[in-house]
Amino acid sequence: MGAADEQGTLRDGVIAGVPVSVAIAVGVLPLIVLFVESIGPGLGTAAYQEAVSGLYRGTLLYSLGVGVVVTGVCLAIAYPVTYWVAHRCPRRYRLALLVTLTLPLWLNYVVLNYSWVWILARGGLLNTVVTSFGIFAEPLDLLYNDISMFIGFVYIYLPYVILTLYVSMERLDYQLIEAARDLGAPNRRVFLDVILPSTLPGAIAAALIVYARIAGAFATPAILGGPGNVMIASLITEAFRQYDDYGFAAALSFVFLAVVVVALLAGATIPQVREELRQW
Amino acid sequence: MTALAADGITKTFGDERAVDDVEFTVDDGEFFALIGPSGCGKTTTLRLLAGLSTPDTGAVRVGGEDITDQPARERPTNMVFQDLVLFPHMTVAENVAYGLKQAGMPAADRTSRVEDTLALVEMSQFADRDPTQLSGGQQQRVALARALATEPDVLLLDEPLSSLDRALRAEMEAEFRRIQRDAATSFLYVTHDQTSAMSMADRIAVMRDGQIRDIGAPDRLYERPQTRFVADFLGDATVFSGTVTEVDSTVTVDTPAGTVRADPNGQAASVDETVSVMIRPGSVTVGTGSITGTVIDHAYKGFFEEATVELSSGGRLTVRRGEDSTAAVRADGSAAVGSDPGAFAVGDSVRLQITEAVLVEA
Repeated sequence: MGAADEQGTLRDGVIAGVPVSVAIAVGVLPLIVLFVESIGPGLGTAAYQEAVSGLYRGTLLYSLGVGVVVTGVCLAIAYPVTYWVAHRCPRRYRLALLVTLTLPLWLNYVVLNYSWVWILARGGLLNTVVTSFGIFAEPLDLLYNDISMFIGFVYIYLPYVILTLYVSMERLDYQLIEAARDLGAPNRRVFLDVILPSTLPGAIAAALIVYARIAGAFATPAILGGPGNVMIASLITEAFRQYDDYGFAAALSFVFLAVVVVALLAGATIPQVREELRQW
Repeated sequence: MTALAADGITKTFGDERAVDDVEFTVDDGEFFALIGPSGCGKTTTLRLLAGLSTPDTGAVRVGGEDITDQPARERPTNMVFQDLVLFPHMTVAENVAYGLKQAGMPAADRTSRVEDTLALVEMSQFADRDPTQLSGGQQQRVALARALATEPDVLLLDEPLSSLDRALRAEMEAEFRRIQRDAATSFLYVTHDQTSAMSMADRIAVMRDGQIRDIGAPDRLYERPQTRFVADFLGDATVFSGTVTEVDSTVTVDTPAGTVRADPNGQAASVDETVSVMIRPGSVTVGTGSITGTVIDHAYKGFFEEATVELSSGGRLTVRRGEDSTAAVRADGSAAVGSDPGAFAVGDSVRLQITEAVLVEA
């Protein structure tokens, strides 16, 4: 090892160290500030005790439940869609189709939510069609409840799930499916034995990307949701804005973060899941 | 007894007839090869027989039963894919057991059948390995075992050896032959490699442009091909066109290589007709004879040396010489010299005699 090499190592360290330090500072500093706020003034746990009290536990569970259900629905839709695009659709239409399916990614999030207000409202597109064809006599109450919120969530997060799952699905060798069929496997077995094991990393990655974002979403429940069920993000925002209770808001945020992280770690303790995650 | 029959199957993609009225049968326990150049429709034919694709017209029969409308999963045929496609998330034993599991075989029977099948392909000690831990030849054996485990009536193989190097391919060809005999299963083997097909198969069908051009035993197809295409596809062949001068038990033809007595090979030739005569390199004796020519190119092939000879009377002839042949004669009359006295050299004058020739369709 010559002196020149050592100098080079030092220079490399400095060159790499600066951006890494900036990245850590930008990422971690706000978390530290937030954490200090959540335990202040002094070293109290009052904010945390309030955050996990029965009053707010329901909101937390409801938010996580919405995250799980919407992620599940997105995966259930994305599986057949990506399978068809990757393996059955003629190659020359594939890119156009993928772009079409993921078009909502490039539109403004708030506008996307409001487009469903126009569609689902009592005088909106869907009710106009339904009543004018006489399928229902009265317009349906589709807006400002769980139905409209779930529709909005699925619509907004489906493109992420499709894109992530498509990468795995496209890598799956179609001949594996043919080999399984040739050996007598019905479609259910082909899915469980061949498609699912090969695409599980993609499905997990997709779930990781959208799950916490749905559970912690603010705009969609605010625009499309009903007044009855409050999600965690609304609660935190209210604490910050209306009640100026920064400590409580910060504590709520950390409780939510802890639950999300624990859920992810719990998944990662299963050896097969860890094995799949390692590929990413 | 016929194991598998393709009964006039046709498949069209757009305007193109990929498979055009293909008809052949594979007998019980027979090793049957379907060969042809790339894009001739042989793989499409195999997929039609496997049930991975449906013919536009025609029927597929196994053991006399029409299975044309059955999907692949219900057919008593199994396929070995070109890329092998072993299930990556299963061990070798689980791969081999897969078809048995789908057929609902109890676990205990399954285990013993998997052991037997792995023993047949000599892979018993690898049962618990992952397919990715195996070499190409070993994966090949597992793919074969997976397809054989359910004891299919016919095994369909789609160029499974094409990704192996030459030495391993030769070894696996011998193994395929042994396994086919031991398993007593009919094999339908698709390949573009005519030497593989000739060394393995009991019978060969040669395909071109979606149609079967000739079917027969390897020696019959090599020595007495029906058409010029089959003659060329199965190996080096020189084809002269010439005029028939006499017809008795053989046909005498006036060709650029002189007068040749050819086997009629089933053709009814008449005097003054123009016919094509095929001559294999091995049917030409080098050193003596009335035909003279000059070597214009030569190649060392291991067991023999091959040369292209420009004949004095016009036309070219490919000839071969083994170690026992007499020396070529240089243009000045001296024997060719060099490290190997028998070697051809460009410019050598040679005397040739045609010992065997057959008529083929142009």
